[in-house]
Amino acid sequence: MDIQKNAKRILVSLDGSENALRGIDYLASVIGKGKGFFIRIITVDKEPSRDLFPDETSWQQAREQKYERAQTIVAEGMERLRMLGTTDADLDTKVVRCKGPGIAQAIIEEQSSDNFGTVIVGRRGVSKAEEFLFGSVSNKIVHYARDCTVWVIQ
Amino acid sequence: MSSQVKEIVKRLRPSLSLGEYGKVYSDTSRFMEISYGDIIELDGNHYLVLRDEAERSFGIEDPKYWVKRTILLETGERKILKLAFFEKFDLKLGSLKIPCYRSPKKEARILDLVQRDMRFMQGTSTRDEAGNLVRIIDIVSGKRLDTHVFEIDADHERYFHEIFPTVLEKFMESCRAIKFLHDHGEIHGDIRRDHLWIENRTGLYRWIDFDYAYNFQENPFGLDIFGLGSLLIFLTGKNLYTLSNLEQAGLDPALAERFKPEDFSLLYSNRIANLKKLFPYIPESLNFVLLHFSKGAELFYETVDEFLDDLDRALSDIKKGICLI
Repeated sequence: MDIQKNAKRILVSLDGSENALRGIDYLASVIGKGKGFFIRIITVDKEPSRDLFPDETSWQQAREQKYERAQTIVAEGMERLRMLGTTDADLDTKVVRCKGPGIAQAIIEEQSSDNFGTVIVGRRGVSKAEEFLFGSVSNKIVHYARDCTVWVIQ
Repeated sequence: MSSQVKEIVKRLRPSLSLGEYGKVYSDTSRFMEISYGDIIELDGNHYLVLRDEAERSFGIEDPKYWVKRTILLETGERKILKLAFFEKFDLKLGSLKIPCYRSPKKEARILDLVQRDMRFMQGTSTRDEAGNLVRIIDIVSGKRLDTHVFEIDADHERYFHEIFPTVLEKFMESCRAIKFLHDHGEIHGDIRRDHLWIENRTGLYRWIDFDYAYNFQENPFGLDIFGLGSLLIFLTGKNLYTLSNLEQAGLDPALAERFKPEDFSLLYSNRIANLKKLFPYIPESLNFVLLHFSKGAELFYETVDEFLDDLDRALSDIKKGICLI
């Protein structure tokens, strides 16, 4: 993949956190109106485990709520980017369903399947202990993503 | 109702005499009501309840009303019945709080997965008349591994050279058992010192209690791996060490001066992870593994395989008597 050629194809991943939203702010400040850019704002929707719920109905309910929340996250991201003046870029949003073991992998798959040359993710600044126990999406992306530039917003 | 229990006991276990005869339950929804002298009927089998199980925590008995110690009257075998109980609570690990869910479904699924694999407790599951998922567990006759190791009558140096290599080999097999779960997309979920037992008859190390579930997004196995690391620290040291228990553990309290913040456990800031500073004969390769669970760690294990690869090297060094200082 040609990184230079795809640099203007930007994938922004949001997770509902403030840091991820700051990625939108930073992007807007860098590209301005964004003419010539293609920007996709995504959030990864990982189904909650059925083990956490006493029955199928409560699981289904939680799953739907999570999906609705995901749709809100990307819609708000898009609105914020437009509000900040990025009006000429080609924009779209997507809720990416996470089928694999982790969110980072889902983001990397999205990046590589649609040839995004730039990936923007937020970093929540977790402690060492939290990173051990829960993992870090941004660290994994920095480590495993190929043929693209990764912007990590902290 | 008590006459019904009396009749069943008399028919199935005539030699058994009870102080109290209670009720027969085929619906276990109200498990708080079920106690000594009651019978739980499942799939035509009759489980006479002896008592609620309890966990000891900080010297206090914490009764688990949903876990019943029973006798299966048809065979005379002792069984533990874990009745359906859903709860969400915060699991505290050092200063971290992790939302944790008790999941009968998860434990039942793992019991199926590990059938005849004696590295795990064994059992089956069934539904009571009201559809509650009940797990029927074979009792592991033995002792907590940490208690067993702590009580070994040897000083640390002798323990480490003569006994620990076998303990480590067997512990590594327990780690492979956890890897087996991970390979099948499952986690143990509650790896701590009181959940690995040594069986009296066979000397096998066996995992118990798999009903904790979590909403981990990125690193589902991290908690299990941290649990394995904490257990390894205990087994290596034959005890847990803090700056305040060195003298009590027969060590020179002046050793405390050697320790820096990065020498302590990543999650429990008073527990020493860098055991080589206490016991210099611990090989570098083993201490290297321990330090992955310390505050000074820069890299973490993401899989049990990585942990086992390093332990393989450590075991080989211990067997060769290598101790690179």
